[in-house]
Amino acid sequence: MPSPVEIADRVSRKRAIVAAVAAIAFVVIHILIRPFSHSANGLKLDYWAINAVVLLAVLATGGGLLNNRQIRVLVNDEVSRSNYRTSVVAGYWVAMTAAMAVYFWPTAEGLSARNAVYVVVTASVSVALLVFSYLELRAHRDE
Amino acid sequence: MSERLINRLREERARRSLTQADLAEMVDVSRKTINTVENSVFIPSTVLALRLARALKMSVEDLFQIPE
Repeated sequence: MPSPVEIADRVSRKRAIVAAVAAIAFVVIHILIRPFSHSANGLKLDYWAINAVVLLAVLATGGGLLNNRQIRVLVNDEVSRSNYRTSVVAGYWVAMTAAMAVYFWPTAEGLSARNAVYVVVTASVSVALLVFSYLELRAHRDE
Repeated sequence: MSERLINRLREERARRSLTQADLAEMVDVSRKTINTVENSVFIPSTVLALRLARALKMSVEDLFQIPE
């Protein structure tokens, strides 16, 4: 029977790969394939919003909520918490850069506030997840 | 201030014929934490450094050094 450390190792690697795939899919779907695909009117509970909230929740909690407490503690130990902080800082700076780009870019003047939020959130969440995934995979790499 | 920390974790672990997973279980952390400390990718907290030193029955100063 695998030990908690071995289970945590597997869960952590899988999480890093899933986070990278989810971040890439998020960018490809919402920026390249269907940009600004959210509904123009009514309640804004669309596919993009649900996707963004789920990815933010994964980033904030470390995911794996179905695992037992011991495994979650091991998966989200000191290194992962440090990687989380680094990725959130990267996401923050991407958000600031995207926000400033939207502000200064001449053709972005006609962009609605909602679409500006769409650009900033999509860019920052995906970069934060990619950075987290990269740092986690690097942590697993034997050198 | 130097951001580097030299450690003898890999040598000391190997000397005791422990795997990274063995040491991780002794210290109650993940294997990747042991791996990142050994590879100097991650500077451990004081608490973790003390726990590692205790698990290997060494002083923390023998396990970790600041380069001159």
